[in-house]
Amino acid sequence: MQEHEVVLKLNQQQRELLERTVEKGVATDKTELVRLALREYAEMHAAGRITQGYAGALK
Amino acid sequence: MSALTGTRELLDSWVLEPGTGKAIELLRGQILRIEQIEGSQCVDFNCFNLHDYKEYMHTGRTRTLYGINPTKGHFMWSAPPRERPMAYILEDTAGCNDVMFPRCSAYLYESVYGFHTHTNCHDIQSEAQREYGLTPDDVHDSFNLFMKTGVDANGRMWIDRQSSAPGDYVEFLAVMDLLAVPNVCGADIMKTSNFAIRPVRLSIYSATDDEIASVPSFAPLPSQRTPADFRQPKIKADRALRKDPAYKAEFANTPIRYEDFAVPLSAEDYALFKSLADPRYGDDEGAALRDIVFTWWHERFLGK
Repeated sequence: MQEHEVVLKLNQQQRELLERTVEKGVATDKTELVRLALREYAEMHAAGRITQGYAGALK
Repeated sequence: MSALTGTRELLDSWVLEPGTGKAIELLRGQILRIEQIEGSQCVDFNCFNLHDYKEYMHTGRTRTLYGINPTKGHFMWSAPPRERPMAYILEDTAGCNDVMFPRCSAYLYESVYGFHTHTNCHDIQSEAQREYGLTPDDVHDSFNLFMKTGVDANGRMWIDRQSSAPGDYVEFLAVMDLLAVPNVCGADIMKTSNFAIRPVRLSIYSATDDEIASVPSFAPLPSQRTPADFRQPKIKADRALRKDPAYKAEFANTPIRYEDFAVPLSAEDYALFKSLADPRYGDDEGAALRDIVFTWWHERFLGK
């Protein structure tokens, strides 16, 4: 199956967050994490569960 | 905390007369009740760490966490870099509070209404806290109790008349030693207090064991810094600002460095990605996928 490569530009803080997420066991590595994020995002989007990301969620 | 008990003890009580405020030492484990006597009276409130006035209540932090109308179960937080819970709203019988509007000021009443002198929350706060050596510049934006507010469809803030009744009250349980400064709002020519100024009752109680146990706890984090962590811990004592010739900038995590991270996607995943990519990124596929990843992260780990 043909693959497409998408190149993300990530700074050290963004990389750290993704690396810590991997360390929690969410995915085997950062590449798999991005793929997982894409698929789960699609499910959330289809279910209308993408919010406006208001900061109240941070509590 | 103060001595734990099974019953509340009334420690002190005052009537706060119209046009006045009061600075009160509220120790950790004590409760301040602010109570309507006649009803419909807005009360502005601020507080400081009793042992370090540079740590003070920050409506912005509180607003970010709980929205513009905090109520029972919410905390008043201090400003960064301290960013600690200061007081817990133990009870709120009216459910009509605001952290969006700033305190009213003398300039407001002069510029809009032409008053040379008029009761206003900034000056009342200032006069009350002067008892503890604080200046008018040390007044901060207030938590506005018994104040009905909102935002309209155009983003404009509004204040409406309120319906608090005699006996309605808000209780704060101090989670650190505080200087609490409530004042009767000076606005009698606005809807805020239904066009009047009325007295309110203040009461201090010792909290019971159960009340103290009901306060959610937060594990302290290293980012909640104190003067012991500051590169410049001394409070500046003169007014003019002068450049420090020895200053060397030490901004955290700088320089910010971007690196490419290539992610191979199957044809199926790529098609899925293209169907979801935010069009604002145009041909920048990396930015669009980055947006998806971090939006997902927020929803997955912080979403409600």
